[in-house]
Amino acid sequence: MKRTPTIDRFYKISAIILFTLGLAAGSTGVKASSPDKSTAHVDPDRDIAKIIIHHVMDSHDWHITDIGETAISLPLPWIIYNSDKGLQFFGSTHALEEDPSYVTSHEHFYYIKGEAHVSEEEAAAHPEKYVVVAGHGHGAAHGDHPKVYELAEGVTVIDFSLTKTGLQILLVALIMIVLFTSIAKSYKRRAGMAPKGVQSFFEPVILFVREDVAKPFLHGKHERFVPYLLTLFFFIWFSNLLGLTPLSSNIMGNTTITLMLAGMTFVLIVANSTKDFWMHILWFPGVPLWMKPLMLVVELIGFITKPAALAIRLFANISAGHFMVLSLISLIFILGKFGDSPGGAFGIMPLSIAFSIFIFAVELLVAAVQAFVFCLLTAVFIGQALESHDHGHDHGHEAEHAHGAH
Amino acid sequence: MDAIAGAGIGAGLAVIGAGIGIGRLAAAAMESVARQPSAADAIRANMILTAAFIEGVALFGEVVCLLAVLG
Repeated sequence: MKRTPTIDRFYKISAIILFTLGLAAGSTGVKASSPDKSTAHVDPDRDIAKIIIHHVMDSHDWHITDIGETAISLPLPWIIYNSDKGLQFFGSTHALEEDPSYVTSHEHFYYIKGEAHVSEEEAAAHPEKYVVVAGHGHGAAHGDHPKVYELAEGVTVIDFSLTKTGLQILLVALIMIVLFTSIAKSYKRRAGMAPKGVQSFFEPVILFVREDVAKPFLHGKHERFVPYLLTLFFFIWFSNLLGLTPLSSNIMGNTTITLMLAGMTFVLIVANSTKDFWMHILWFPGVPLWMKPLMLVVELIGFITKPAALAIRLFANISAGHFMVLSLISLIFILGKFGDSPGGAFGIMPLSIAFSIFIFAVELLVAAVQAFVFCLLTAVFIGQALESHDHGHDHGHEAEHAHGAH
Repeated sequence: MDAIAGAGIGAGLAVIGAGIGIGRLAAAAMESVARQPSAADAIRANMILTAAFIEGVALFGEVVCLLAVLG
């Protein structure tokens, strides 16, 4: 069989995927062994579920590793808008804990008016008015007795802090700006010539997004959307890849970010919608009159669920991978009873490491596939909104013809 | 404990549903590619798109199960 350009490109993309797989094998070993230190030292409760959740959550410091009992971590700033005191800035979580007007309870910070002289039971019954700080928490200075504080009323507190995930988004953005400005420059400099260096590495991917994602679904108006789709694709792909390296958090395993991306898709759908698109939602053509209100409900639900499903798909896929790897590694500690039964730990270790490397390899593929699917569906949804009657919108008419034939 | 057991069963059922769906989809797509190899690219793109929809529904179920455990 003659190799067509598309198949050629498919080979190129497969080569890229295999190459990234190869790179991953190197980093998996490090990742597979790093959580054991944090599991053994950070949480003496031995609560695996809590440890796993803690690992995938966003946080206000970038925890790197533990040496002995000391945690090595990069503190990140808290930036808080407080309608009482204005914009406040704290260098680290520790600095915020030192401030007497904030207390911490169950890993949340509360802005307080002062100590309250009510019983714990009464405070627990009015959680909107009081906060109980347990003995070991900050703000409970004297002994181990829990303290009750009165919350400041009518004060708006908004947390703008740059968290671990936020910092990593900026990191991905920086990588993308540096990488793609250099690629764009080399396209300008070497116009009409064969790509070179990093440009030739990314050219098949860029072409893939333009030819196979944007072009088939956007009905000849794809040029407008290619830059956005490319940004989306590379942002999701790079974030996912960064999330697989040791020390970093899973950016796309955070519903805030996936909902934001899906929200942008939603805005693009609405901004590019035609009259036809709204007609199909509000007054579906080609169905009997009694079905039209029914179709209105179905179409309205679909209108919201389409972008919502995008967000949930990306979030669930990426966090599922992290959960799986962490669970497989935790098996070592569960069966080894946290060092009490080394035989169990060593018995399961080869299996656990082999499986987590396998899941890691799958995750590398998922990182690219999910970026592709998000882009593809964004293109499909925008394409649906762009569609007007002269672009083969037959189903309505067909139904009308069928109706007329009876 | 009930919530965890229920969530586990629910997650398993969602996976069975998605597995049947994607399995049937892939079988049909493979057959189509065998019949019409020149349309392989179009079939592959449509297969991934449809698989994403099936997977999306299954993931709704999985997220509900996850929330049942965590919530």
